[in-house]
Amino acid sequence: MRRRTAVVVTMVAGALALVAAGCGGGGKSSNGVQGANHTLAQSGGKKGGTITVLSEGDIDHLDPGAAYYQFTYAITYVTQRPLLAYKPNSIQPVPDLAASMPTVSKDGKTVTVHIRHGIKFSPPVNRAVTSADVKYAIERGFDAAVGNGYAGAYFGVIQGAPTNIGNTVPSISGIQTPDKYTIVFKLSKPSGIFVSALQEPLTAPVPAEYARKFDKGKSSSYGDHQVATGPYMVQNNAAGKITGYTPGRQIVLVRNPNWNPKTSWRPAYADKIVFKEGFDPTVGAKQILNGQADVNGDFPPPAATMKQILSNSSQKSQLEFTPTAGSRFVALNTQKPPFNNKYVRMAVAYVLDRNSMRLTRGGAIDGKIATHFIDPSFGSHGFNQAGGYGFNPFPSPNNSGDVAKAEAMLKKAGFKSGKYSGPQVTQVADNSPPGSNTAAVVANSMEKIGFKVKTISVQHSAMYTRFCGVPKNAPNICPNVGWLADFHEPQADLDANFNGKNILPANNVNWSQLNDPKINALMEKAKVELNPEKRWAEWGQIDKMITESAAAIPWIWENGPTLYSTKVTHASELWNGGEPDVSFMSVK
Amino acid sequence: MGAYIVRRVLWAILLLLVVSFLTFVIFNVFPSADPAALRAGRNATPALVEQIRRNLGLDKPFYTQYWYYLKGLVEHFNLGYSYYNSESVKSEIFSRLPATISVTVGGFIVWMLIGIPVGIVSAIKPRSILDRVMMGGSLVAISAPVYFLGLVSLFLFAKGTGQLQWFGAAGSYVPISQNPGTWFDSLILPWLTLSAAFAAFYARMTRGNLIETMHEDYIRTARAKGLRESRVITKHGLRAALTPIVTMAGMDIGLLLGGAILTEIVFNIPGVGRYAYLAITNSDLPAIQGTVLFGAFFIVFANLFVDILYAFLDPRVTYG
Repeated sequence: MRRRTAVVVTMVAGALALVAAGCGGGGKSSNGVQGANHTLAQSGGKKGGTITVLSEGDIDHLDPGAAYYQFTYAITYVTQRPLLAYKPNSIQPVPDLAASMPTVSKDGKTVTVHIRHGIKFSPPVNRAVTSADVKYAIERGFDAAVGNGYAGAYFGVIQGAPTNIGNTVPSISGIQTPDKYTIVFKLSKPSGIFVSALQEPLTAPVPAEYARKFDKGKSSSYGDHQVATGPYMVQNNAAGKITGYTPGRQIVLVRNPNWNPKTSWRPAYADKIVFKEGFDPTVGAKQILNGQADVNGDFPPPAATMKQILSNSSQKSQLEFTPTAGSRFVALNTQKPPFNNKYVRMAVAYVLDRNSMRLTRGGAIDGKIATHFIDPSFGSHGFNQAGGYGFNPFPSPNNSGDVAKAEAMLKKAGFKSGKYSGPQVTQVADNSPPGSNTAAVVANSMEKIGFKVKTISVQHSAMYTRFCGVPKNAPNICPNVGWLADFHEPQADLDANFNGKNILPANNVNWSQLNDPKINALMEKAKVELNPEKRWAEWGQIDKMITESAAAIPWIWENGPTLYSTKVTHASELWNGGEPDVSFMSVK
Repeated sequence: MGAYIVRRVLWAILLLLVVSFLTFVIFNVFPSADPAALRAGRNATPALVEQIRRNLGLDKPFYTQYWYYLKGLVEHFNLGYSYYNSESVKSEIFSRLPATISVTVGGFIVWMLIGIPVGIVSAIKPRSILDRVMMGGSLVAISAPVYFLGLVSLFLFAKGTGQLQWFGAAGSYVPISQNPGTWFDSLILPWLTLSAAFAAFYARMTRGNLIETMHEDYIRTARAKGLRESRVITKHGLRAALTPIVTMAGMDIGLLLGGAILTEIVFNIPGVGRYAYLAITNSDLPAIQGTVLFGAFFIVFANLFVDILYAFLDPRVTYG
């Protein structure tokens, strides 16, 4: 799971119930994906000029092998060329470094990719990219000095991929390069999502002869010396040392002189892209509206600002909303009482006031109330198969909770009065808004049916890494968890969170510790299904089963708001929660 | 005096050691995030998390980690490397120090230029309308949070976002070596915002001290000798009244050199304070430790400097 954009602290201020117009949209793009209705100029833009992107925080890593953050990807994908990538309005990967879509053998265990000719690394490397560069790039993802967060999850299926991670770049026998422009992946078992995973930036080529010296030791410094293959590169000096990145201050992208537009579908209109960091969202949004900057990077404009924009007919078109390919949910610990009882969990699912929970993040403007896990942006990739907007096993009037139905569930669980009368339950929650407010709503809702909820408040990251992600420390309830799929395959959305095989002693993300043999078995079957239609149907069914188990209760499918100045054309990345694709934007 | 200074420096070093130890204890005892898990990401395998833990030295007992930290600090003046982005904490702090010094020194000049004269005027005309207006105004300035005042000033006076586009906008800071004009323009609003509460506080303190001093016997004697009132105030009254202000000023400058966090955040100034804020947000212990130690260093040594200065300002003070 990639990290989300910055925490929406300021959105709580208003807790605004905003009109639905323009808030999450209901439009349908050409690929059948629901939720986005954006304008996009794919051609005819004006060449030249500078685009300025504002952010509140910094990227996580410049190194394409380590980058794993929604905002960072807005830079990585225009400076690096993975085998596959996305056009802004799409969730369907298309060949980027690859010359064509990968071919998969009948048994699903061999994936062959041909790469384009004529792609060169930026200075100082200046040579043509070969398949060996892709092999090295993926192999270094298994080096702890690089510290890639998803290599094991998606590329661990390659034959010879190490399970013990050290501080060296391993040689992986299952990645073969029969010639300079062909790369063959031998898999230990079929994988329904391997081809989709080839869009991850880990597959962007890295020249071994140049990078190896930076990859030595306990922490790779290749990011500070990286070379590019995309239309832009982070500004560097003649020796290759990055000069365009000042942590926490700014990132300057300039044109890559070795990029050949004939090999790419990116129009790359602007000459220069400047990412200015450290902006307060209120100030940043104002600067964009006034044309001092062009688009927001990692922060959503404050809810009050968005309300003003949407009520102003001349500014309304400057704001776009994109689904973020994920959901927020309340995880109930299924491994200990009282939530090891399905009916108790179902009672909680009925009684939760999801409408009030959503208000803690800004109301309708923040997204639609989630009724299952696969996000609307998946469209035909599993969302529709899970029942789309029509599937809601725990309905309540105005989504504000249904005490009567909850009490009926508690009676089935053995609480004759319909009220929970067992021991106090504990939740570990964020110690700051909006998460702390959401947790308060959860506690209030549960108290309506007799629960006494003790709340332990900690920093958001501590909530994950010390409590909810460590089963031996896990509380009964984790009210502030959520997941963004790395790409639009339901496996990337559900497997880590709900497969019993993924319960780990630390860094566990199956927060409800759901270990249902039937669901596990269906997941293992769906994972090796190579036919996408069948695979998505199977995952849709799995989504329904997980939701009905009430091991976790989804409550919002979030939107990513993107605010543009009037000086630029729009290009919001549907595949990346609305981050701007600066290679498709142009100065008017 | 020499022995006193040596003794104070040794105490200061001990104090810094205690501060660094306490920071370490707080980070380890209280439930902060697991840096290895944060660095690895939520989809990482347990093997990767454990290897990163070893790489960061987090697999070792807390006291061993602290020993390595101290060793690096003493032998190489090494403040460690960020868990978040692997950058050198020392480089990060020193690259941000000029911005923080710019904010602090400029702010200090502004608040002294406003606070002291206002305090004097109020003191020599106590209970006058002017005094009431100035003290009432200072109460408002003390009460206004920096964050709020900063945003209001940006929306009123900053280029681009303000109603009156007079001064530099948030994020417009450049080093003085790059463009002195832009540097000055970008810092006007931060200086005014930062100095508002300080100026008000100093005005009230100056007023109180001066009123008290002006009732001393030696002031009456000075007047009886026929000295002009202005000379009585400046030569005899202010000198005594300002001595405690010097102590406060030293402490405040030391505090702000450790990072004017809110001012740097609102105005997007890449200083040590903003770095400290990001370090806390990211549970980045080496960066937290570095900024805390750095701030403590300035406070401790500013305090020492002020104590030494006292001997020159107040003839009654001697150090043995």
